[in-house]
Amino acid sequence: MRAKLFTSLAIVLGLLVGLWLVRPPATRANGDKHEEKGGHAHVPAPLEYADGHVPLSVWTDPAMIARGKAIYTTRCAVCHGDQGDGKGPAGVALPLKPPDFRDKAGVAEMRDNYWFWRVSEGGQVEPFKGKGSAMPPWKSELSVEDRWAVIAYQHTYSGHNGAHVPWEHPESVAMGRDIFAMACVPCHGVAGKGDGSVGPMLAPRRAPQPRDFTSAEFKFRSTPSGQLPTTADLFRTLTEGVRSSGGPMTIGLRGQRIMPSFRHMPVEQRLEVLEYVKSLNRGFWERGAVKTVTVPAPPTLTPERLTRGKQLYADAECLACHGERGRGDGPSAPTLKDNRNLLIAATDMTRPERFKNGARPEDVYRTLVTGLAGTPMPSYADSLEPDQIWELVFYVLSFSSNGPRAEKATR
Amino acid sequence: MSTILAIVLTTVLGVSPTLADDVPISGTVKAVDVDARTLTLEVASKGKTQVVIVYMKAGATVVRFVRATEPEKTGFVEQSVPLSAVKAGWIVSATTKHEGDREVAEQVTIVVER
Repeated sequence: MRAKLFTSLAIVLGLLVGLWLVRPPATRANGDKHEEKGGHAHVPAPLEYADGHVPLSVWTDPAMIARGKAIYTTRCAVCHGDQGDGKGPAGVALPLKPPDFRDKAGVAEMRDNYWFWRVSEGGQVEPFKGKGSAMPPWKSELSVEDRWAVIAYQHTYSGHNGAHVPWEHPESVAMGRDIFAMACVPCHGVAGKGDGSVGPMLAPRRAPQPRDFTSAEFKFRSTPSGQLPTTADLFRTLTEGVRSSGGPMTIGLRGQRIMPSFRHMPVEQRLEVLEYVKSLNRGFWERGAVKTVTVPAPPTLTPERLTRGKQLYADAECLACHGERGRGDGPSAPTLKDNRNLLIAATDMTRPERFKNGARPEDVYRTLVTGLAGTPMPSYADSLEPDQIWELVFYVLSFSSNGPRAEKATR
Repeated sequence: MSTILAIVLTTVLGVSPTLADDVPISGTVKAVDVDARTLTLEVASKGKTQVVIVYMKAGATVVRFVRATEPEKTGFVEQSVPLSAVKAGWIVSATTKHEGDREVAEQVTIVVER
């Protein structure tokens, strides 16, 4: 009896193993039978699309919605369905189902820049490519305005009347808010106003202090004077931290940083927290197209250019703050204050490793063009020509006794 | 013994639908061989791109969906197209069955023509 039982069990096991072996190899198709929610994934838009916010007026503009409907009907509905339910005739058999735009909760989680990225790149980028998305990229066939229009039309299926922005859908930045609460609140405060409890101990009674994300002033930018930074600018600051000598609370921070580097935080988490930071300032959605400062290729460094740089250093009154030898000890240095009326030190140019906005030649060029908002450091975009700015850059970097190190130094 | 046989049958019947093997795939057409009745597709799976040759079963069709032209209809209608009309670069989907070493489809749907 026992022998029969074992035989039977062996047969069962053999059958199961056999069935497992004849299973189709995973490589044979891209189908995932459990993909029910369609192409929506909880990933942030990459940096190149992070500033691709849809202008606020587009969401409720009848002309744009009508324009979007015309595009959707001819190009999207065959998969996404005439009702926006993701059940168009060509979509039902796809391995990765098109999303249901009537799903209010799902739509609320999709940020506008994510949406714009999806329409632009379709299934050609990860993680959607790996999921087998058949979504075509539309960036070469639809203008930016056309893509805004079709997104605005798709948004109408959700039943939400109004702009699709984080302050209407806080759930879209929930992950970033949680990271912010853990990593940023001690310095930047609960509301991101730069009033965290640790802030005053970083640099007691003097600048720099933690940034107020609700204000329009951001020091480290690649955008012209008076404008908000790009997401890439914020990402760079978050990744590199801010170098500066500070108070007792900064002793544990590596590399003379007053703000720590978050380069060990996964990129996606850094992008998520930046989406939350931007949500604290509606200006990021109201500014329209983002323009950045162009850094032209540097001319060859010659003794003549260095001499002209020295003259410009005097003419532009750099030495009033930074001093004749660039040590940050000019006659005006002791009285310099930032826009919070806090004393602020002029940068010691003999210490490029402490340049807060970067010490590579292109970083110094950018700083001279953009200025440092909220500080006495002005923008020279309107007063100097590009060649003159490069001459000034050469002279500034010559203060460092370790010139080659200065060129290699990153923030 | 009959109990064990019942377990075996139940297991086989229960597992069978999973292995019925109707797997949806989609990808970009890389080549069409009208004589061999095959479509070479570039598909992505689990983060990897690979080439899959889809064999069209005898009598299998290629279809596209177009807007109905009749005034009273508003949706899409299915339209058969010859395999020779399919161009490289188009995105298609199919539900295939694994037969031997082959991926065999009874119908291929054109998703995007471009």
